[in-house]
Amino acid sequence: MESRMSQDTKEQAGKKPRTAQGRKRTLALFYCQNTPESSEAVRQALEKKYASRVRLFPIPCSGRLDPLHLLKALEEFADAAYVIACPEGACRYFEGNTRATKRVDTTAQTIAQIGLEKGRVGIVANSKENPKPLAKLAEEILDRTRELRPSPVLERPRRGKGTKEKKDDHSRKKTH
Amino acid sequence: MITAERKPIDEIRAMIAPYKRVLVLGCGSCVAECAAGGEKETGMLASTLRMANKMEGQEVIIQEKTLDRQCVKDFVVLLDDVIDQYDAVLSLGCGAGVQAVAEMFSEIPILPALNTEFLGETRDQGYWVENCLGCGDCMLDDFGGVCPLARCSKQLLNGPCGGSREGKCEINPEVPCAWQAIIDRLDRFGSLERLEQIYPPKDWSRKQGGGPRKIMREDQQR
Repeated sequence: MESRMSQDTKEQAGKKPRTAQGRKRTLALFYCQNTPESSEAVRQALEKKYASRVRLFPIPCSGRLDPLHLLKALEEFADAAYVIACPEGACRYFEGNTRATKRVDTTAQTIAQIGLEKGRVGIVANSKENPKPLAKLAEEILDRTRELRPSPVLERPRRGKGTKEKKDDHSRKKTH
Repeated sequence: MITAERKPIDEIRAMIAPYKRVLVLGCGSCVAECAAGGEKETGMLASTLRMANKMEGQEVIIQEKTLDRQCVKDFVVLLDDVIDQYDAVLSLGCGAGVQAVAEMFSEIPILPALNTEFLGETRDQGYWVENCLGCGDCMLDDFGGVCPLARCSKQLLNGPCGGSREGKCEINPEVPCAWQAIIDRLDRFGSLERLEQIYPPKDWSRKQGGGPRKIMREDQQR
């Protein structure tokens, strides 16, 4: 994954933990519920530990992941969106993890087309021989994504109510 | 079904560049089946475009909606209440869908986000193949259910050409020889004598010889 990061990204590594607006970077983490030690209590404890830096989304199998999940996360709040999958050959539903890998690749290609680094999305397969608990995997992914610069998608002031007002604007006359 | 593929993002962005309020409009029929323009793909495209605009600091409203079918006016009319909120519609329908929406809403640009490809069969997950040209005069009964016009690279009605190797076409070893399939199937039916029939050149007047085609069924009309 590191090789996917741009030079620009590497240069910023460790220099700037916060954006110009003081926003902490956020990781969206989708994880297969068959990941060891990934109960709801663990999820809540991890979200408390990392505060807004990590948002965890349990999914019944990594094969449930859709590129839209990753894109929406990147669009709305996340500087990076990752998936934790079961080891190769160990998916409870046989091929969920291989499907997830393809979908992450599709998403990476999509965001690259608009100039976002491919490294903002990724998939981490657990180890078959030495399976790691969710907390350990989350920590490793957080370390990895720390090298990313703040997302340029989220750098602009967020438009809240103003957007909605325009969305609901029915003042225009019909043209047909 | 009709198959399609999404245009490159750059091309789509160039198309919608002049507009400030864009509706990304999906279609839940054929293009959803071929994973090009269904609800998911519509959401993905809209999300990608919104991100691209945010990165460039552009104030553009991009919203999404998916109709069950864009090529049926009974569904297109559902846009009537929302269409005025937009400067343009980016349609993920096939060419027929884009034009049906454009015909109903003549005052607003309806832009195609997809390249419509062919009439195809879903051979496997994520794998679609062309096997019908829509010629208007089906001859599949003569050819064991395999269309030589759609599936033979040379569109031979009087094949085989003799150039295939191990059941593959000489123009591309990945393309199965349609005539090999025809012969295999006719052999299975005990109908190989059909190969002795000489077919005259195809009458293409029933495809587009008379301009755009239409079907009128009085028994189906109001």
